[in-house]
Amino acid sequence: MFLSIPGIFKLALKNYLHDWQSSSGLVLALASILGPMMIVFGIKYGVISGMITNLVEEPRNREITAVYSGRYSEQWFEELGKLPSADFLVPRTRRIAATIDLKSSSAPRILHTELIPTKRRDPLLPKIVIPENSDDWLIVSESAARKLAVNTGDSIDASISRRYRGKLERVHLTLRIAAIAPIHAFERDGAFASVSLLQAVEAYRDGLAVEAFGWEGDQRDIPVNFTGFRLFARSIYDVADLKRWFNEQGIEVSTRFHEISTVQRMNENLTTIYWAIAVIGLVGFSMALGASLWVDIERKRKELSVLRLVGYSTMDITCFPLIQSMLTALLGWVLAVIFFHLVAAIINYLMLSELQEGRQVCYLSIEHYFQSFLLTCGAAFLVTLTAGLRYANIEPAEGLRDR
Amino acid sequence: MSSAVSSSAVKQQDRVSLYNLSDITKTMESGGIRFQLSVPHLNIARGEKIAIIAESGCGKSTLLDMLAFISQPTTSDQFEFYPSALTDPVEVDRYWQNNDQNSISDLRKSHIGYVMQIGGLLPFLTVRENINLSRDVLGLPDDGTAVELAQKLHISSHLKKLPGNLSLGERQRVAICRALAHNPSVVIADEPTASLDPFSADIVLKMFVDLVEELGTTLILASHSWQYVKRFGLRRLSQESRRDSTTRTMFTTIKG
Repeated sequence: MFLSIPGIFKLALKNYLHDWQSSSGLVLALASILGPMMIVFGIKYGVISGMITNLVEEPRNREITAVYSGRYSEQWFEELGKLPSADFLVPRTRRIAATIDLKSSSAPRILHTELIPTKRRDPLLPKIVIPENSDDWLIVSESAARKLAVNTGDSIDASISRRYRGKLERVHLTLRIAAIAPIHAFERDGAFASVSLLQAVEAYRDGLAVEAFGWEGDQRDIPVNFTGFRLFARSIYDVADLKRWFNEQGIEVSTRFHEISTVQRMNENLTTIYWAIAVIGLVGFSMALGASLWVDIERKRKELSVLRLVGYSTMDITCFPLIQSMLTALLGWVLAVIFFHLVAAIINYLMLSELQEGRQVCYLSIEHYFQSFLLTCGAAFLVTLTAGLRYANIEPAEGLRDR
Repeated sequence: MSSAVSSSAVKQQDRVSLYNLSDITKTMESGGIRFQLSVPHLNIARGEKIAIIAESGCGKSTLLDMLAFISQPTTSDQFEFYPSALTDPVEVDRYWQNNDQNSISDLRKSHIGYVMQIGGLLPFLTVRENINLSRDVLGLPDDGTAVELAQKLHISSHLKKLPGNLSLGERQRVAICRALAHNPSVVIADEPTASLDPFSADIVLKMFVDLVEELGTTLILASHSWQYVKRFGLRRLSQESRRDSTTRTMFTTIKG
C-alpha cells in the first residue's frame, strides 16, 4: 500500500514535459471546449445580470403613485411610513397649486416650473445632499437649469401669483440652487423643494397668510391634509406588498409591478434555457475530455507497464495519468480563462455604445471561475480514474511487450 | 559411489531455495493458437545461474513473466518464493488468487530485476534516472551505484542522455544496470541481447554475466543460443515442445 507520491509526481511531470506536443494538444483541446462555453455563459450572465441590475437600480421601478388624488392625514403618512416595505415617502400638495415662476439674472425669460416635494434620501436624487431644516432652496431639473442658465450655488428669484379678493397679487422670494437634478430624475421643467415650501405655496394660493415667509392673507390655520404622496418601496420585490396595502385601503395605485414580473419571468425562462444548453454542453465537454484523456492513457500503456515492472504499486500507476490529467485540466482552464477574457473584452468593446456606463455584456463572477475550475478538474478526475483503474486491473505482463 | 552420494547430499543441504514451484500451468491464446506451458517442478537456488534455451514463441517469456510476478499462473499447486535465506517462503499464487496486487508489487520491486528483450526504458528519463528508477521505487537514495554500474558496462559517458539518443546495445546495457541497481535477489533477462549484432551481443552478455557473478545475484537467462550455456557455466532447464494440430495447441514443458 506504499504510495510514493513525490516519486510518481516527478515521473508524471517529466513524462508530461517530454511529451509536450501531445500534452499541449490536450491542453488546447480542453481550452477550445471550455473557452466558448465560458463565453456563452458570460454573455447570458452579463445580459441577465444587466437586466436585473437595471430593474433593481432604476428607482422608478419601485415607485408607487396614486391614480387619483385623495385626502391623506399626517397620521396616515405616519402609518404608511412605518411599513417595512416603504422606503421613501413625502406628502404632495395639490398639483395645480404646486408651481412656481423662476427668474434668474442670467436668462431673460421667466420659467413656469412644477414643484416636486422632496426630502433627504430621495431615490430620484442619489448622491445629492438635500438640505434639512431650511426651505430656501431648490433642486432644479436639468431642463430648467439649462433654460435658466443657473448653476449649483446660484441665487434665483422665485415668485408665486394668486387672485386674492379680486386682485392679482404676486410675492417674491430668493431661493438658492442647492443642486441640479440628474436628467432621469425629472425630464420636464421642474424643481424639487421642501414639503414646507410646497405647503406655503399652496396656502398662499388658497389666500392664506404664511407667516414664515411674511406673506399676507386670511388668518386661518394651514391645513395639514395632503392630496397625494411620493412613495418608493424598499426594493422591487416590496412593490407587490405595498400595492396590496393600498388595495386594502381602497386606494387605486399604479406601479411597475407587471414590468417587474415580466423581466423576472424572462430571467427564469432564460435561465432554464441556459441550463439546458449548459447541461448538453457539459455532457459534450466531459465526453470530449474523456475521449482525449482515454486515448492518452492507451498511448501511455507501455510507460505504465514499465513502471509496474519496476514495482510501482497499483495506486502509483493510477496516480500517474491522474496527475497528468489534473495538469491538463489546470492549464486548459487557465488558457480558457485567458481566451474568455480576450473575447469578452472584444465583445464588451463592440457593445460599448449600447451600454450604460460600467456595464458589461459578457462577464463572469469570481464564483463562476471557481465553479468552472472545479467542474473541469472533476470531469478530468473521474474519466482518468476510470481509465486508470481499468488499466491498473489488467495483468502487468500485458502491454509490456508488443504482442 | 557412496562418497559421491554423500557429497551430493551435502550439496543438496547447502542449496538455499529461491523459487520452489510444482505443477504450474499457464494457458494463453493468440491468433487462434493456444499455448499451454506446464512446469511440473522447478527449483532454483540462490546464486544459481539458470538458462532457458528455446526457440521464440514456445513460452519461455511466459515462464519468466511468472517468475517476475507480472503474470498470473492459470493453475498452480505450489509457487513459493524465498525473500531471504532465513525466512519462510511466500506463496505467490495466494497473492494472485486474492488479487493482492500491492503485495505482489512490493515483492517485485524488492527482489526482481528484469531485463527485457528490447525497450523497457522510460524515454522521458535520462540514463541515470532510468537506472535509478529501481532504487527510487524502493526509496533508496542515489548513492553512486548507478554510476558504478554504468562504468562497469562502459556507458558512464551517456548518463545524462535520454535513451532515444543511444544505440540498441547501449540501451540494453542501461536496462541491465537498472535491473541490478537495487541489488535484487534475482535478475531475470529475456533474450537481453537478441536485438544486437552477434559481436555486440557477446560483449554485452559477457559483461552482464561477469557483473552478476561479482554481485552474487541469481540469474535466470532466456536465450535461443546454446553456446552460452557452457561458456558461462549456466544450468539449463529441460524444455520440450510439441504441437497438437487437431486442437491447434502448442504444449511446452519446462522443468528443472
